Amino acid sequence: MTAATAAKSGVRQVEGAPLLELDDVKMHFRIKGEGILARGNKWVQAVDGVNLTLQPGETLGLVGESGCGKSTTARLITRLLEPTGGQIRFQGVDIAHMNERQLRPYRREIQLIFQDPYSSLNPRHTVGAIVGTALRTHDMVPKSGELKRVQELLEMVGLNPEHYNRYPHEFSGGQRQRIGIARALAARPKVIVADEPVSALDVSIQAQVMNLLENLRKDLGIAFVFIAHDLGVVRHFCDRVAVMYLGRVVEEGPRDELYEKPNHPYTQALLSAVPDIGVVRGVPPKSRIRLQGDVPSPVDPPSGCRFRTRCWKAEDICATQDPALLEHTEKLHTACHFAAPPTESIVAETV
Amino acid sequence: MEPLIDDPALTGKPLSSEPATPSKTSPNTAKGKSPTRIALSRLRRDKVAMVSLGVFLFFVFVAIFAPLLAKLEGQDPTTFHIDLVDDNGYPTIGITGDHWFGIEPRLGRDLFARWVYGARPSLIVAGLVTVITTIIGVTVGLIAGFAGGWVDRVLSWIIDFVLSLPYLLFAIAVPAVLLSIFVGTAEDADAQQVARVRFFSLILVLSVFGWASLARLIRGEVLSLREREFIQAARVLGVPTHKVLFKELLPNLVGPIIVSSSIALPTYIVTEAGLTFLGVGLVEPTPSWGLTIATAVTYYRAHPVFLWVPVIGITILVLALSLLGDAIRDAFDPRTRR
Repeated sequence: MTAATAAKSGVRQVEGAPLLELDDVKMHFRIKGEGILARGNKWVQAVDGVNLTLQPGETLGLVGESGCGKSTTARLITRLLEPTGGQIRFQGVDIAHMNERQLRPYRREIQLIFQDPYSSLNPRHTVGAIVGTALRTHDMVPKSGELKRVQELLEMVGLNPEHYNRYPHEFSGGQRQRIGIARALAARPKVIVADEPVSALDVSIQAQVMNLLENLRKDLGIAFVFIAHDLGVVRHFCDRVAVMYLGRVVEEGPRDELYEKPNHPYTQALLSAVPDIGVVRGVPPKSRIRLQGDVPSPVDPPSGCRFRTRCWKAEDICATQDPALLEHTEKLHTACHFAAPPTESIVAETV
Repeated sequence: MEPLIDDPALTGKPLSSEPATPSKTSPNTAKGKSPTRIALSRLRRDKVAMVSLGVFLFFVFVAIFAPLLAKLEGQDPTTFHIDLVDDNGYPTIGITGDHWFGIEPRLGRDLFARWVYGARPSLIVAGLVTVITTIIGVTVGLIAGFAGGWVDRVLSWIIDFVLSLPYLLFAIAVPAVLLSIFVGTAEDADAQQVARVRFFSLILVLSVFGWASLARLIRGEVLSLREREFIQAARVLGVPTHKVLFKELLPNLVGPIIVSSSIALPTYIVTEAGLTFLGVGLVEPTPSWGLTIATAVTYYRAHPVFLWVPVIGITILVLALSLLGDAIRDAFDPRTRR
């Protein structure tokens, strides 16, 4: 952290550091216990020691079931939340505990696209005002040029640039999501965190919005952290994929390796749950891994490996030793004592 | 529920002086309508609301031009026409060309002049109290809802405290206390000064007790709004907190604020008249409907017009404002429409 150089408007940079790096990031929320004595004793370990890296222009998928900490991670990266532990380094500079004033230049660099296009746009502002927020907040263009830039952005996301004077309620869900994307793009960010950007949309609209994101990524070279629980969408869009379970990354690696030869039992179970279109064409259904039980409470997670309570490979070591995220097969990092590729094909063929 | 987007005839109209787009007729380039503007156009189509608004504006007009109207009649509200009152205090004339509503028993002051001037304290007190309570209520509610934590706990406690105070007891006691502080003992008091202190103590009491319920309402709204994602989007973009509060949150509170103040206005008019009637609001020589009613009750059998004039005035004004308030609520929140 010695050769930190100041670039545009106060954003420092360490040479050779990855664009974004999460180092053992923890987010524990305090919950009030019942009664007077138990007050404030319990912590929800929403995110507990996540390590991720993101290179410029790269797309990282973050998958996992509901409640595993994906959205919390998104809010940590965008610093809507202050982590209770660990470091979030943007271009090598730790932004995890910066106050709002120090953070201001970095706000431009990391943007968030929201899941619900109906609550992510202020109903009282015109589209022009919404998209222009970043321009005004960071004085990015002179006042006279704001309208032109807003129209440029609207056109970029496939909306009619003449609609800048309309209000969000006059647009459909897909159009609203495009407005949300334009708002994020206005800041000219280096990283966009997309928190399930298409899961609230119709399937036909999903494809359009995914194509838009794909094109923007190619044209503008923005790095994406793409959060989804639709594994097909992630496979289509991402270079690398990280699988989360109960606040931790259990497996991380290049897309194809992870999808074809997952080493972690949880990833295998997750992938085997993807519906197989081949059945319709008479292909015998693939064997499906059915997990037993529920996800344990993040208030009181299991000791050692967090997945051991539902894992068919679990042995004594799993309860005592926490498996580290290590490279087991080529480029694929897995946190499991018994990491091994699946014995039979569990993955649905790509459509 | 009506469609949110108006018929093309309305949207096609140039709604703003701002030269937004080259051609306003093409549907693609029409300027959008904000939720507030949609509510207002919905209100404009409500006939009851428009009639009520007309009645309200009539009373505002009467209050503003009271001296002019009195001059038109050729009278003023403070002259004693003793010659027109008999030995028992009863007026010897009815409704005449000189005195349009007749004159007061005993003192012989002109009733029309008293009536037009009487609209003033009602509207001024109610209007001022509404403005003050709205400003305080919105500010406290915004801060409590957005800041959260101990700030919220302290402010919520204050709100609960104010709401639990015995309102009528304070309304009766506070003017007396203020009077003894600012004017001294009742014997050597100057009538004008007493009237002024009474006027401000009435506004003070109503304001102190009025803001809390609005603050609680706004706090609740803010609590639900601040979890909405557009607030987070503003924070991710680095929008400063005061701008989040006033540019992002406040515009979304326009509906509840307008609704609550339009419903509060008539209740303050009634409260002012009621407290004045009880002898704890305004006092002579201020011409006030409440005062006239209080005096007129004694003379009702001999001189019913004396009572009816202010009663009808207050009833029509309050009825119009209540109907307007209901219409505004329906316009801003169509879900509550019956």
